[in-house]
Amino acid sequence: MTGRDRIVMIVIAVLAVAAGGWMLVVSPKRKEVKTYEEQVATAETQLSTAKSQLANAKAAQSQYATAYASVVRLGKAVPPSQEVASLVYELEQASNQHAVSFDSIATSSAGGSPSASAAATAATGGATGFTQMPFTFVFAGGFFDFEHLFRGLTAFTSHGGDGSLQVSGRLLTIQSVKLAPEAATPGAGGGKGAPNLTGTVTATAYVLPAGQGVTAGATPSSPSGTTAPAASAAAGSTTTPAVARVTP
Amino acid sequence: MRAVNLIPTDQRSGASVGAGRSGGAAYAVLGLLVIVAALAVLYGKANRAASADKSKAATLNAEAQQAQAAAQALAPYTAFVALREQREQAVAALVDTRFDWAHAIHEFGRVLTKQVSITSLDGSIGGAATSTAVPTPPPTGAAGSSAAVTSATPAGSVPTFQITGCATSQHAVADTMQRLRLIDGVSEVTLQSSTKTGSSGGGGAASAGGSSGSCGPGHPVFAMTVTFSALPSASASAAAASAKTSSVAETTVTTPSSGGGAG
Repeated sequence: MTGRDRIVMIVIAVLAVAAGGWMLVVSPKRKEVKTYEEQVATAETQLSTAKSQLANAKAAQSQYATAYASVVRLGKAVPPSQEVASLVYELEQASNQHAVSFDSIATSSAGGSPSASAAATAATGGATGFTQMPFTFVFAGGFFDFEHLFRGLTAFTSHGGDGSLQVSGRLLTIQSVKLAPEAATPGAGGGKGAPNLTGTVTATAYVLPAGQGVTAGATPSSPSGTTAPAASAAAGSTTTPAVARVTP
Repeated sequence: MRAVNLIPTDQRSGASVGAGRSGGAAYAVLGLLVIVAALAVLYGKANRAASADKSKAATLNAEAQQAQAAAQALAPYTAFVALREQREQAVAALVDTRFDWAHAIHEFGRVLTKQVSITSLDGSIGGAATSTAVPTPPPTGAAGSSAAVTSATPAGSVPTFQITGCATSQHAVADTMQRLRLIDGVSEVTLQSSTKTGSSGGGGAASAGGSSGSCGPGHPVFAMTVTFSALPSASASAAAASAKTSSVAETTVTTPSSGGGAG
């Protein structure tokens, strides 16, 4: 074996040792590093998601008072039960304001049953939707008084100028209106010689699905399901009790 | 004289260059040392990075769990706010799909003239041509499912009015049809009948307007149907409402006198 051959052999041996060391020692460690890097990336994503969830939750906590007031207000438009008495009060008030006589109210279920509960249960709008309560109202008044009355009934629940919901009474959807001269006293009432009309209005009120309370068990200070007021989670953020003003 | 190579045999060119007396073993050891050192450096770096990443991952996981636990503790608040959104959207959808009866009545009063008196006005909203439910988008972060609120007057329903009344002449009936067509939202006005009454008057349609209790002699009794455009979807209606509020346009309306017009 010449000296040159020996050098070649040495180089090959050194390279073999280097390759072996790389494959057996360094490469597995580098793979381990890669695995940990992936774990770090996953953990960073999870942390980012969790932080965003926490931020949302904290925002929800800070909005709670407003949300509670809104839900209570919406409960006036769509109550958890039939609340026919309050509907009658509202209709009477609206008709008085617009010089219209509120003559009658009747529930108008598909079978014509006078039972409000039957009507309400008959026309369920879906498992998660509102329950419909069809009614027939009869009013008496002048033509333009009816216009004002309809405007008033619509204004119980309507959009405000800024697009937000304005709730001052029950949400009603008028389906049909029939105006005809009043049979008994033609030409009487209505003011200024205008003939009196009988207005038969079929409309639908809505009720929350069965089992859903107005606030779903929430109180002005905390929602249903909160144990402690989340002291550890929301350190420093205080929740002021919600106040909802509802005019009768 | 014969030439003699004075260079020692092991130092002559071509004979084991650089191998030295150790025969290259020294180079081999040196190379191995370098390689081992390089491998050790690489291993050390990798090991340090691995342990750093490991502890970082553990820290991040712990932070994430802490944040998740905190968010979980506040989940009822999120759910309640989502409930509020869901209800608001449902109520808004119902509000947006209502027909504006007051406006329609107002418009009838505006377009009808003294030559016409109305004996009955019967408005109703027909069945939906398309959908029957107003879908509300699912609230953000809501635990519950999306709600499809069924409106009594769903989008696509067509409001129609059956009008019967008296006119002073057939010309007035035609005029009335033309004017009814001017009502905001009216898509079609169709005449069912317009029949002149006999000299005795009456003709079956009792007038509610004016001093007379029935149609005058020779005055036609008419019946027509006014069809409005189909109710828009909640989103379209909301968009229209916002556009309406943004451009405030004052309009002057004239109402018919109490003697004629709608009665």
